[in-house]
Amino acid sequence: MKRILPALVIFIVIYGNSAQAQQTKQILKKTVISHFFTCTLNQMLDTLSMQYRLPIFYDKDAIQSMDVNNRFFNESLRDVLKFVCQENGLQYWIENDGTIYILQKPDDLPHLKNLKNFRKDIVLIKAAPLEAPKGPPRHFDFAVIGRVTDQNTGESLPGATVKVRNTQVSTQTNISGNFTLLNVPSDTVALEVSFVGYQPDAFRLSPKNIDSTLTLSLFPSMNALTEVNINGKKTGVLNTDSKKVSVLQLAPSALDKLPNIGERDVMRAFQLMPGVSATNESSSGAYVRGGTPDQNLVTFDGFTVYQVDHLYGFFSAFNSNAVRDVELYKGGFSSKYGGRLSSVTVITGKDGNKKETNIGGDLSLLSTNIYAETPIGTNSSLLVAARRSYQGPLYDKIFGQFNTATVNNAPPSTGPGGGRRPGGNRGFNQVTPSSSFYDLNAKYVFTPSKQNTFALSVYNGSDDLNNSRDMTLPSFNSTSTSTALSIDDNSKSGNTGASLKWTSIIGRKLFANTLFTYSEFFSDRTRGTSGSYSDSGLTTKFFNGITEHNLLRDFSLKSDWEYQATSKVKLIYGGYGSLLHIQYNYTQNDTSKLISQDNRGVISGGYTELELDPTSKLHLQPGLRGTYFSPTGKMYLEPRFSGTYQLTKEFNFKGAIGRFYQYTNQVVREDIVGGDKNFWVLANQSNIPVSRADHFIAGFNYETDNFLFNVEAYYKNLNGLTEYSIRQTGGGGGGRGAFGGATTATTLTQDFYSGIGYAKGIEFLLQKKSGSYTGWISYTLGEAKSKFDAYGTDYFSSNQDITNEFKSINMYHLQRWSFSAVFIASTGHPYTAPLGSYTLTGLDGTKTTYLSISEKNGERLPAYHRLDLSATYDILKFDGIKTGSIGLSLFNVYNHVNTWYNEYYIQSNQVVTTTVKYLGFTPNITLSLKWK
Amino acid sequence: MEITDKRVSYLIIVVCALLFASCNKTETTTSLADWPVVISYLMPGQPINVKVYQQKDITDTATYGSPITGLTLTLSNGTQTVTLTENAPGNYAYNNSSFLAAGKTYSVKFTYNNMQVSASTLMPAKPGNYTESATSLNLPFTITTTPGVTEVPALTLKWDNPDSLYHLLVFKNDQDSPFNIHAYMNSAVNFTLNAKQASFYDVYYRIFNYLGTYSIILYSVNKEYIDVLSSNANTTSQKLTNPPTNVTNGYGIFTAMQADTVRLTLTQN
Repeated sequence: MKRILPALVIFIVIYGNSAQAQQTKQILKKTVISHFFTCTLNQMLDTLSMQYRLPIFYDKDAIQSMDVNNRFFNESLRDVLKFVCQENGLQYWIENDGTIYILQKPDDLPHLKNLKNFRKDIVLIKAAPLEAPKGPPRHFDFAVIGRVTDQNTGESLPGATVKVRNTQVSTQTNISGNFTLLNVPSDTVALEVSFVGYQPDAFRLSPKNIDSTLTLSLFPSMNALTEVNINGKKTGVLNTDSKKVSVLQLAPSALDKLPNIGERDVMRAFQLMPGVSATNESSSGAYVRGGTPDQNLVTFDGFTVYQVDHLYGFFSAFNSNAVRDVELYKGGFSSKYGGRLSSVTVITGKDGNKKETNIGGDLSLLSTNIYAETPIGTNSSLLVAARRSYQGPLYDKIFGQFNTATVNNAPPSTGPGGGRRPGGNRGFNQVTPSSSFYDLNAKYVFTPSKQNTFALSVYNGSDDLNNSRDMTLPSFNSTSTSTALSIDDNSKSGNTGASLKWTSIIGRKLFANTLFTYSEFFSDRTRGTSGSYSDSGLTTKFFNGITEHNLLRDFSLKSDWEYQATSKVKLIYGGYGSLLHIQYNYTQNDTSKLISQDNRGVISGGYTELELDPTSKLHLQPGLRGTYFSPTGKMYLEPRFSGTYQLTKEFNFKGAIGRFYQYTNQVVREDIVGGDKNFWVLANQSNIPVSRADHFIAGFNYETDNFLFNVEAYYKNLNGLTEYSIRQTGGGGGGRGAFGGATTATTLTQDFYSGIGYAKGIEFLLQKKSGSYTGWISYTLGEAKSKFDAYGTDYFSSNQDITNEFKSINMYHLQRWSFSAVFIASTGHPYTAPLGSYTLTGLDGTKTTYLSISEKNGERLPAYHRLDLSATYDILKFDGIKTGSIGLSLFNVYNHVNTWYNEYYIQSNQVVTTTVKYLGFTPNITLSLKWK
Repeated sequence: MEITDKRVSYLIIVVCALLFASCNKTETTTSLADWPVVISYLMPGQPINVKVYQQKDITDTATYGSPITGLTLTLSNGTQTVTLTENAPGNYAYNNSSFLAAGKTYSVKFTYNNMQVSASTLMPAKPGNYTESATSLNLPFTITTTPGVTEVPALTLKWDNPDSLYHLLVFKNDQDSPFNIHAYMNSAVNFTLNAKQASFYDVYYRIFNYLGTYSIILYSVNKEYIDVLSSNANTTSQKLTNPPTNVTNGYGIFTAMQADTVRLTLTQN
């Protein structure tokens, strides 16, 4: 038995504490027990502890009645421990100092840790403290560089805090998980590292390790646990970065603690925070501070994502199993980001496990989701995640809710002002459309040296709607000809994106990230009749109808550099170049192109930003971004500035100001019969202007260990807003209006409206950050108005204008259970209502009814509110590691009717109003499992 | 702690006050629901009638809203202004057919609910050299459409249009109860085609559903009327727009036009 022990010495590695847990694990694994225990569990644990020098801690009172009566033969200590834990309904947990805690319930850990600190005398074997310095310090005032990683998977941890113990010298790891710590006082100090969801740890510097790139690895904290954290680091699923202006952070791994409808959704989760509107069920895109989703830049591993959702906007395009970290900048963001007016969402994909192979997945009523990750060789890793929906009841319910537009048959012509009946259950030839979405993420990370990392990330996802069917019409005539006909009605849209990223550390003070990215968005639609026509042996293929094709391609090269000049000055700079190619074709009957656009544009430029900390309390961040946009041939300069001032330890002031330009816009092609389609256009010199916004943000927060109170006010003025729509009249099914009596050709009208606008508001957030009960309440008072000459001379409420929005998010943790309740209430969206109607008699005697309408967006829909509940049960292994969860979610529990929009249908001169609703009560069950 | 709390609340008040200090309401003077509906087609040689209605409530099942009576409507041709007389409730008429002539701009004005309602229109030139390629057509029993092959027009209508005026073609069946050759379709007997700014129109067999003699009336019209006819207003509250109108402070249509007619006999045997 003891023969193993000497070998273990070699496992005691240089890096202080974290090795203790590893060492404990090694002892458990390698120690072989052949012994007959017949004693109380207390006695057995004490024996093991003494014999193998293992720090085992437990509550004597709790387990004193438990006995062991077993003979173990050639079994590892780990298996022995597992056996006795299972026998007695216990779990063990190895903390990063190497101590093994014996737990009755998952929540016992903080209590046991306190007990251990309090009753030091009852500890037989003490966990080794952080090792003492080996000798007197030899180096003074130098810089160290390093990386913070996850001990179990080897993934780097961006945003972790590294601090020299007992000093003010501290820094945060950048997006690659790297850090530079300047002015380290000596080579014998300890570095304290902390990060959300991980056990804080300390690492001793030595003259030997300061010259190399340090790797500081943290152990995950016990999963089902919300322990009170000493340094005020937040551990919740959604957090406000109180040290920055308007930044929200999301931990995707904790998303199962919130209610979901089918999919854990990284974009929807942000809608629970103030400043991001939660009432657009038909869009998982972010409506941030009176902005629209196309004003939100979304990047995934560096490439721009042009379509962020699936299934008519109900689900975001991002698989939460492939996402490590998401940050949302609600405004006033750094000069590193640009090209959008409102906000930035930065999504970082998981690298994949560098230590061991793992497989996991989720199964819900909507979709299945599988991922696998594995190390390849010693210095690379691979992660693959795939997701696909299936047409189960939940899918169909959501599909039906959001797809009232995809009705095959055109209802009888009712003239202008008439329209399709919602749901359109009339007519013939009705089929159930088949539709699905899928997405695939893959990431390969190669780390040839500590200084260089290469990562290749690929995303592919699409939504497919097939509404085609064979036509059942009486055959036309004739014998020598035959015609095979089918009605085609396909919509397909999706994204493909890829990025190749090279992260390098140059010297001690310089970091570089160079990215080559490709992003493609396509949206295709075919609607018409196709078939083949045979005449005397000659077969001709034909297509009658419309095809629509939108393709956006974005090739970009980006290089971001970080230079830590001194501990008070950090310089960020970089350059970027994008080649955008946007095609939009609208073709009728194979040949006639109604719209054919093929636009290319180059967006290139550079940025620089200084991060200044003149005192420990003041942080200033001036920046400048300059962009050349080839279609207009102009240079666009965007000055930015943000700053924070720490008045007291708890009290922070913050503010930001900046200018933002946007060169691409998402526009809508209205299609009354087939459903609206979105696509992207490039600004130009004539009718689509480059839009501009100026942000002004001020706020403060008051933060204690348990609570955060955050207030931010914002004002944005907006210029060069575009409302561009393509409206189809006539043609397949659209042939309404007074000209509807005969077959009419499809005509397209392109409307370009330009306008200005503003958005302003104030956000309040009170968050309880730790303990069994966590959550927050938030209130936003806002206003978003626009002025378009086409609609009149006055400002009107923008479509996304919400005056009051209240959110209450409550999470309660009990052992393996997590419960949550989310309540959202807000003012209804503005809309344009019909005030009356009138009928005109045309020259041919046709009577046509028209609606006279209110001021643009002059009315409000009823208030929106709903309550969502969820309960999640964590599946834990005997050693406390979470391997899955079962979650039940109830959406809109009290089945409140939230209005999406109204539809008006004219029947017998009367206008019939139908309310199109958002989702009612919807339950869902999700099972998540992983192998390790 | 207490001090900071006070500071917090003070700051909230200041920020709120600053942020919303600039809010002011725009006064809506007249409700859009009070706007009158005007309908008038001015055609030389025909009596002038201007109908004025109220809008209907959206739940109203009547065809027209209540007529607006007792108004004083004036009609001007640019040099001469006449007052219309109300010969039926809401119908204001002027019975001098020589008042209307091509090239003149006609304006109607009246005051309703203390609001000046007006509209004006230009009388277009009469269509010239309006001809048809055939005076009768024998409709086939089945129409063979060969996909991918362009159909040969059954009839071509031609006229002069040097100024690219807008034209409409109204097909009116002269029979009392014309025979429907596509009984299952229940199509409209009379219909209108938009010839846009062209000087010809190709007519295909498939647009005909009834037999008998049709008057094919070619109207030279103004864009305002084309706009009203081709209005394809959306019916969801997300995108409602007011239908196009050339009436200021009102709805409807006040437009001038001139016509010429050819006849076409349709048979099927």
